[in-house]
Amino acid sequence: MNVLEKLKNLDRRIIYLLVFLSIIIPLIPGFDFLKFPVSASKETKAIFDIIEGLDEGDAVHIDFAFTPTQKAELLPFFEAFYKHCMLKKVKVFIYYGASVNGMPLGKETVKRIMQRPEFSHMEEGVDYLNMEYIPIQPDIQIFGMVSDYKGTFKKQGKIFDGVETLDDIDLILGISGSKWHQPLIDMQIRFHYKFAMAVTAVTGPDYIPYFQTGQLCGLSNGLRGAAEYEMLVSKKYDVDYYGTATKGLSSLTFSHLMIFGLIFLGNIIYFYERKKGGK
Amino acid sequence: MKKEIPILFGLIAAILWYSEFFFAGMFFDNLKVFFASGLKIAGVVGIMIGVYSVARQNYFKIKYNNERYYAILRVSMIFLMIFLGSQRGMASGTPFSSMFFNVYIPFQATTFALLAFYIASAAYRSFKAKSLESAVLLTASILVMMGKIPLGEAMWDKIPVIGEWIMDAPSSAGRRAIIFGGYLGMITMMIRIFFGLERSHLSD
Repeated sequence: MNVLEKLKNLDRRIIYLLVFLSIIIPLIPGFDFLKFPVSASKETKAIFDIIEGLDEGDAVHIDFAFTPTQKAELLPFFEAFYKHCMLKKVKVFIYYGASVNGMPLGKETVKRIMQRPEFSHMEEGVDYLNMEYIPIQPDIQIFGMVSDYKGTFKKQGKIFDGVETLDDIDLILGISGSKWHQPLIDMQIRFHYKFAMAVTAVTGPDYIPYFQTGQLCGLSNGLRGAAEYEMLVSKKYDVDYYGTATKGLSSLTFSHLMIFGLIFLGNIIYFYERKKGGK
Repeated sequence: MKKEIPILFGLIAAILWYSEFFFAGMFFDNLKVFFASGLKIAGVVGIMIGVYSVARQNYFKIKYNNERYYAILRVSMIFLMIFLGSQRGMASGTPFSSMFFNVYIPFQATTFALLAFYIASAAYRSFKAKSLESAVLLTASILVMMGKIPLGEAMWDKIPVIGEWIMDAPSSAGRRAIIFGGYLGMITMMIRIFFGLERSHLSD
């Protein structure tokens, strides 16, 4: 059996090991040699620009609709976006829409961010609010928010001063790795709210048409989108908010190169066999 | 009557719901709140049904020895989390929180991460330029992937531009066609349900 024959029948466990190493090695300190600067895409920059355009006291509603499954890709974006809102002194309402499982993760993350010295003076109920979970579909949620924002979530606090209905919300950000936010995209045409999304890389292409039509005013795509946002906030405010997304890019690059290598090898074997007259 | 009453309810709800799109006024504003509150209650009842269903499924698995030990483990873990959450709360530092962050989150993240390994193995075995169409697909996918990683941009600054064009033009056009098809199907189904022609949702 020649080398190509052996490679053709390569044990899948060897492929798994190669992928594993390509992901793990760049995460080891000192081995992140495939580190390159990222530039912001227009979709991610659009979200950043909207927050930059807000004034102190304006309101942002975050629909945190992902489970810990998608933590690696989506939590870094949430962290960077939330820090950006806090720096701008924008009121943030965090609702755990699709995900009762994601609620502890979100609340813990918010708590950790608020312990940073620059945000330690901010208070829950005044500057930000965790709005827990209500078993309610996004379209019904929007209908409720149009009539009575506070009443929809049955919450109280000083943060609601000046926030009566959906018209008082300057941006809704949906973070999810599923189709949960599709009704919010559909209903944007009727109620004309600003709606942006942060999604996993695998679902990202589904939402590009909506960004083109303006139903989405911004779109962060996977780990790369989160790294772009970390970079935008860090550069603008001269702070070190580079987090796990930026660290993960080296791993992302190396694992992509590994997949290119595997595809290339698979094709060499295929063409060699075809030349020989095999299948 | 088992079928007719739900169909009648559906018809009345649909007429009221659609009227709200065309008319304004206090009645229709209240109607929105009525539906929103009603569906919240329905959601709570749905959770109760879910809990009952999980308990019932696992009871029968244990009773008839259908993967009994997995079912016992599953039910034990559910009750352990309920017990820990109800006794000591769910704030950080509690046993519930510790279990959630140190057991549940790594399990879920691992399940999703497995996707990368399957994709790599499948790409190696199947992603081959067997025809002109598959060669175009292969080239496009490599350009898009190169555009998404910082290395692509470092190699040649036009790679992300090409990748973005592929996503914004041909890929987006195809996706729009799928979206249109899907929504036309949904409208057809909606009209069929509205007139009582479609009864599969009533187990007919």
